[in-house]
Amino acid sequence: MNPTAGQELPELIKHPTTRQLVQYAGAQGDFYEIHYDQDFARNVGLPGVILHGLLKAAFLGQLVTDWLGDRGTLKTFEVSYRGIDQPGRPYRCRGRVTKVDGDQVELEVWGEDSTGNRTTVGTATVGMNG
Amino acid sequence: MAVTSVVERLRARIGTTGPPITATVEPGHLKRFAEAIGDQNPRWLQEAPPTFLVALAPTSMHLAEAEEYGKGWLNGGNRFEYVEPVKVGDRITATQRVADVYEKSGSSGSLLFIIFETEYVNQHGRTVARLRGTGIRR
Repeated sequence: MNPTAGQELPELIKHPTTRQLVQYAGAQGDFYEIHYDQDFARNVGLPGVILHGLLKAAFLGQLVTDWLGDRGTLKTFEVSYRGIDQPGRPYRCRGRVTKVDGDQVELEVWGEDSTGNRTTVGTATVGMNG
Repeated sequence: MAVTSVVERLRARIGTTGPPITATVEPGHLKRFAEAIGDQNPRWLQEAPPTFLVALAPTSMHLAEAEEYGKGWLNGGNRFEYVEPVKVGDRITATQRVADVYEKSGSSGSLLFIIFETEYVNQHGRTVARLRGTGIRR
């Protein structure tokens, strides 16, 4: 099915755990303590350990690539982190097509915390295969 | 006015680049990364998923003076631009540059923004991707 403006992407619900944050810290090589050390996180004013922004970006990247499959190529992907997210709570990734111009498709994507706040917002552009 | 001088010293770094970092896309690393983000698409055994480049070549610039400002780092955002796919075995060189430094006042006090731009070049000398990242000290 060709993308059309307004079309929603199938949502992706992630269930991040503290274990996953440690796994991600190792895989990315980002050992900033706010992602696995509760005392450190609280000392810098956070409620506890929080998800890496780039882990949330990876979730939203998966939302887009799962939807796109081999029908096209990701050209740009941009995310802004608006709020913090803690492990142990579901993270809901959503998106929709905002514009279709020939084979160029623009998307908006966002991640919602368990109360529905959009803590990560972003856009992506894809080039569909001709 | 120690805080102001930190901002001034950091602003003097705008335009400077860090040492280039070269790394090979290893199948084991790709697999560990895909497992860590929980994406089981078999495509990522051969090809880098959208955010993998940040793991391949971690930040090359360490701006020690930025840590004199505020209590901690926050990631404000990331923008990836993809030119061509990155595959297993590719040898990628990442060069990072300080693109901008500025201070903003918010409801919970002042924040320091540092914009980093990274260019990724493959073994054939072709740019494969660019990344713009916003680091925030609060």
